[in-house]
Amino acid sequence: MHKVLSNKLAIFTFVFPGLAFFLFMFVAPVILSFYYSMTDTIAPGLDVNMVGLSNYTELLFHDERFWLSLRNAILLGLGFVLIQHPICIFFAIMLDRIGGKSEKWFRTIFFIPCVISVVVISRMWLTLLDPTFGMFNKLLSVIGLDSLQHVWLGDPNTALGSLLTILIWSGFGWGLLFYYAGVKGIPEDIYEAARLDGAVGFKLHWKMTIPLLKPVIAVQMTLAIVTALKQMETVYLTTNGGPGDSTQFVAVYLYNQAFAASQYGYANAISILFILVCLLATFVSNKLVKGDSIEY
Amino acid sequence: MRPSRKWMLWTFFLLVALVQLFPLLWLANFSIVEASGFFTDKILFWPDAPQWHNYVNAWVDGKFPRYLLNSVVVSAATIILTVVISVSMAYAFTRMQWKGRSVVYSIILLGIMIPIHATLLPNFAIFKELGLTNSYWGLILPYTAVSVPFATFILTGFMKSIPLAVEESAVVDGASIYRIVFRIILPLTMPAVVTVAVSTFLTCWNEFIMAYTFISKDALKTLPFSVMNFAGQYSSDYGSQFAVMVLTSIPAVIIYAIFNEKITKGVTAGAVKG
Repeated sequence: MHKVLSNKLAIFTFVFPGLAFFLFMFVAPVILSFYYSMTDTIAPGLDVNMVGLSNYTELLFHDERFWLSLRNAILLGLGFVLIQHPICIFFAIMLDRIGGKSEKWFRTIFFIPCVISVVVISRMWLTLLDPTFGMFNKLLSVIGLDSLQHVWLGDPNTALGSLLTILIWSGFGWGLLFYYAGVKGIPEDIYEAARLDGAVGFKLHWKMTIPLLKPVIAVQMTLAIVTALKQMETVYLTTNGGPGDSTQFVAVYLYNQAFAASQYGYANAISILFILVCLLATFVSNKLVKGDSIEY
Repeated sequence: MRPSRKWMLWTFFLLVALVQLFPLLWLANFSIVEASGFFTDKILFWPDAPQWHNYVNAWVDGKFPRYLLNSVVVSAATIILTVVISVSMAYAFTRMQWKGRSVVYSIILLGIMIPIHATLLPNFAIFKELGLTNSYWGLILPYTAVSVPFATFILTGFMKSIPLAVEESAVVDGASIYRIVFRIILPLTMPAVVTVAVSTFLTCWNEFIMAYTFISKDALKTLPFSVMNFAGQYSSDYGSQFAVMVLTSIPAVIIYAIFNEKITKGVTAGAVKG
């Protein structure tokens, strides 16, 4: 048995393809990106001029947009953590309580937006929020709130909030599914015991379910932060960072720098810092929220 | 739970479900409404003259069959590669004994955290150099690379729950390690494999930014692209645009409807066992 399971050739055959993919698709690009980040090249394949670390100093000390996009990511992350996830947790617990056939049906319906392409979602919401014929403004007028009608994605004050709404709508199903899985992992007899002790309703869940979900919450919080940082497609396809820079995000910024502004070298410097920020955020939020049992 | 409270909860859930589905219902509704219908005050309605030809526009002018084929080819190849690679890696991580296995495992999981958008720029340069842009491989390779870390994570969690006795008897019978993994372990991990396959499918089917960056040849574009193309071509004809969006979404919704239970089971197993 031991001999078969420590067969060196087999281990190599099993691990090598995956590792090769990782090296080719993650490590090599990062190294190449680091190289380009020290040049002022305008597009891949064109003249390469070494400029040392000047792209980085420019980025860290003179580029307001970069910091603005990080700020937006933090705001969005807070939105996820404070609004989306509590909603998901609430629904996960209630879904488990509702039971029977309807439990299955509601779970299925809530997840449907998650299987729709980001391109469809973005274009759909662009039209939903359109100031002239958008459904959202129409709905407001139907319920008599004409005064609230608005150019939702076109106003710097509401653009980020509108984006958060779109992302909460489209990401709700995944969050719900993970918390629901967590709730399902709690044995029913624990609830019985708590009820015998007199805990009911809201108090029962606050004192029992939430603490027992702590490992799942810990992982999900980290994912929420990283998701906010990585935000790209929905933004790119709806506001493209605008109006002004009110919805600027790091990934959108670097993409436009590389392919629209012909600042390929500079954009690679953003990429490198972007990776560092993501890894740092993962590390920090892992440390902050880590329960004692979960490993990730 | 008391019946009255159950009833309240039910109503509340129904309302929220309606909010979740409303944008999609609206999309489907207005895909058969003529352009002027967009300016009515009605929210959802059956048009006097349903514009079914919007779907003809989408199918023919939107070159839907072509993009559909591309999406199917890319998704299928990615799923097969991802499953084979992840199952073998997960096996090596859970069962086989070798030095550095936890280190390699952590490295692979880093792939979940590294943003693909940061690797887009250098990958674009590399793919251009290797002639991978404008080819199916230019999508299959990065999609596989993105899917493998998460798939390995789920499969590793699941394999830990399979008793070792399964292999012991196979070894006594003289089965080779490859036979054990692909003939004995793979069928037992099927629930997790289905989860991995479906989530990989959804990633490939819906992915936009890599396709947008690596593919410029019309004949190779995938479905999310058809939506973009069409939006440019039929910029004022929202009905036809909506028809393309509905057509693009239908296959994903069908796949989800079929495998819905399995996804939940797979995620539950992965999330609980970590």
